[in-house]
Amino acid sequence: MSSFGETPTGSDSSTAERDSETLLEVEGLKKHFTTGSGLLSGLRVDPGSFPPVRREHERVRAVDDVSFSIARGETLGLVGESGCGKSTLGRTVLRLLEPTAGTIRFDGEDLASLGGEALRRKRAEMGMIFQDPHASLNPRMTVGTIVEEPMVAHGMLDGEGREARAKSLLEDVGLEAHHYHRYPHEFSGGQRQRVNLARALSVDPDFVVCDEPVSALDVSVQAQVLNTMARLQAEFGLTYLFIAHDLSVIRHIADRVAVMYLGTVVELAEKEELFENPQHPYTQALLESIPVPDPRESGTRGVLEGEVPSPVDPPSGCRFRTRCPVLIAPEGYGFGDAEWEATRGFVRAVKRRTFEPAPAAEVRERFFPEGVPDGEAGELVETALSLVSAAELEGLEEDARTARWHEASELLLESFAEESICARERPHYEVDPVYGDGEHLAACHRHR
Amino acid sequence: MTDPLLRVENLTTQFFTEAGTVRAVDSISFEVHEGEIVGLVGESGAGKSVASMSLLRLVESPGEIVAGEITYKGRTIFGLEETADGSLSERPEMLSEEEMRREIRGNEIAVIFQDPMESLNPVFTVGGQLREFIELNRGLSKRVAREEAIRMLREVGIPDPEGRYEEYPHQFSGGMRQRVLIAMALACEPSLIIADEPTTALDVTVEGQILDLVDDLQEKYGTSFIWVTHDLGVVAEICDRVNVMYLGEIVEQAPVDDLFYETAHPYTEALLESMPRPDLTVEEIQSIRGVMPSAIAPPSGCRFHPRCRYAREACKRVHPDPRRVATSADGETHRAACLRHDVFESGYEASAPLEHATALSDREVERPPGGEGGE
Repeated sequence: MSSFGETPTGSDSSTAERDSETLLEVEGLKKHFTTGSGLLSGLRVDPGSFPPVRREHERVRAVDDVSFSIARGETLGLVGESGCGKSTLGRTVLRLLEPTAGTIRFDGEDLASLGGEALRRKRAEMGMIFQDPHASLNPRMTVGTIVEEPMVAHGMLDGEGREARAKSLLEDVGLEAHHYHRYPHEFSGGQRQRVNLARALSVDPDFVVCDEPVSALDVSVQAQVLNTMARLQAEFGLTYLFIAHDLSVIRHIADRVAVMYLGTVVELAEKEELFENPQHPYTQALLESIPVPDPRESGTRGVLEGEVPSPVDPPSGCRFRTRCPVLIAPEGYGFGDAEWEATRGFVRAVKRRTFEPAPAAEVRERFFPEGVPDGEAGELVETALSLVSAAELEGLEEDARTARWHEASELLLESFAEESICARERPHYEVDPVYGDGEHLAACHRHR
Repeated sequence: MTDPLLRVENLTTQFFTEAGTVRAVDSISFEVHEGEIVGLVGESGAGKSVASMSLLRLVESPGEIVAGEITYKGRTIFGLEETADGSLSERPEMLSEEEMRREIRGNEIAVIFQDPMESLNPVFTVGGQLREFIELNRGLSKRVAREEAIRMLREVGIPDPEGRYEEYPHQFSGGMRQRVLIAMALACEPSLIIADEPTTALDVTVEGQILDLVDDLQEKYGTSFIWVTHDLGVVAEICDRVNVMYLGEIVEQAPVDDLFYETAHPYTEALLESMPRPDLTVEEIQSIRGVMPSAIAPPSGCRFHPRCRYAREACKRVHPDPRRVATSADGETHRAACLRHDVFESGYEASAPLEHATALSDREVERPPGGEGGE
């Protein structure tokens, strides 16, 4: 199993900015959840085996073997679509969630092994800002109490000192000192997010995890909050792990960017490099799908087919392979490029059942206008074609039809997709950057 | 020019609340022609959703359409006339509630909402809901309607439509549910679809798929769209013409290219500047000062003036309506409601700049001096 960040500190010394020490270093981090809890959940009855009753829980591999490091004063952008595990990663890094495996070295100390009081004290150096500005502030507390709470928990200052600090923090984040006595409902979304900022900063942390801090805000307010966050970072020397689904926001605020897909980091590079020279097909697809606010720029969009698979049973090898537009041809069949592209299209169409049953010749013409591949590959395609041809499906019940489709799909997947290197090895490659000289990691076998 | 499919004139919708009258939509006018996608853009609270629901007369109490005229294919969806005693009453040719329900909603004008989970009934199968909708609206038999439903599901890109026909909404992902709603909207082959932030809740790759789908379907069926969104990226991608709304009013109306390249209203300009770009690295984004004020007591004069960097004395006094400020190459009108344009003859040039505007134009953006309570 390979993982990212096996060469963390060495290559980091390349730029002047990151000559500074590494503040956070995450290695081989995993967070798995078991589904269901309770006495009888997960009980499986299988009369064919002995004993006939088993208990087993499905494991959701929310974060699966992730490594990265963040230098002091840096912003690492963590981007991915919903369900990719980015929020879980953020929380696990702070040990708000218990990691399943891996190490989290913060300022030289392994957080994963800390416990109790030591961990609690360490937390004074870390803060978190959550996405929903309406749910993350207690409506019955005044803004002052909210901002002071972490200071109280860590026994910082006396009452007077805390009040003075809270008021000055409110001004730092762009609010007024007299807002100290107000309640959250008196504030707009953007202002609440500023209160969140003040609270996160109250114990003077070095490191702040920002989980989608601006995605609930309108564009104009979002810009205000982003600018404030950038100013505070400079002023207080903060290090951010900035989690977002919006690549535009990431491009604005991050120094380096990690792209997550289905629990793993698929690409990690300096910002300019990642946006201008993306090397992983998933990153490329993400970038191509964002609507660009320029009508003269006709974007290619919707380049990805299908949906993210379940993290309970993720694809082997490269997690992105089931949707990858450039899946590598399996060896041994002697596929030409065009042949493989046609075959790949056909395999996915059968799997997703996207065409209506038609005579085999018609389907063949549609997917293989140049003719089916030669040799063994061709025979397999022909077998699948006949399984789902109109003649075969005619008069069958729906269940039997579904079985036919399934059979064809299994045959094709096992013969082709599962044989590709993409299905057999977990990718991990370093590529030469074009922009800047930072490390560029891309988990794609095309770079082998 | 042919008659527009939909013409909206001076539409005004208000909500009568205890706190006062909310002027959610204030005298807006626009047209939708056959086969075009018209954008309705603005931030939350701009009135874009109320405006689009008013078109179907689906505004609920305490809201009410109080003025204006909505004409669809020559039929009057809403229209008032003055009676002998000086009060206003509905015009006789205005469609009745029954006619709206039977002939307009769904059949002629369909809606796609932002949250597909709220539009689908969780206790019925997806296929069943779609089939019933087709059965009732198109008068088909149950069996034919089922086939039609499966055909529509495949058309909007649902994999394995025969199998998924029997599944429930919770078994579908967000993107797939939105596809089901599009299938439902298209099922009666309406001439106009109102899409209210249909891709806002979706991930970008899924959003891309849906935008592609809309493009394809529009080409195939020639349906017109009113696309309600806050995302100028989506607007640039799919809209033909755009209306920018601010605090209940349309402040700029232009073909999409002109909106981005010949921007004529400071609000549109500020919106464009405040967006981080996916295609460029922008070191500093210019934010808009403050927040949108309440629609109960909107600012005097130009409603944007307290946040505008070009604001002058005249902007506090004179309330601009959208007027023609330019004509694009292909003869389309570009309207803007800003006194800086000559057509207004408001004495803007001669009046003194407002204090905050001077500060703003010095790029003093983060926190205006004298701070008026942040945003």
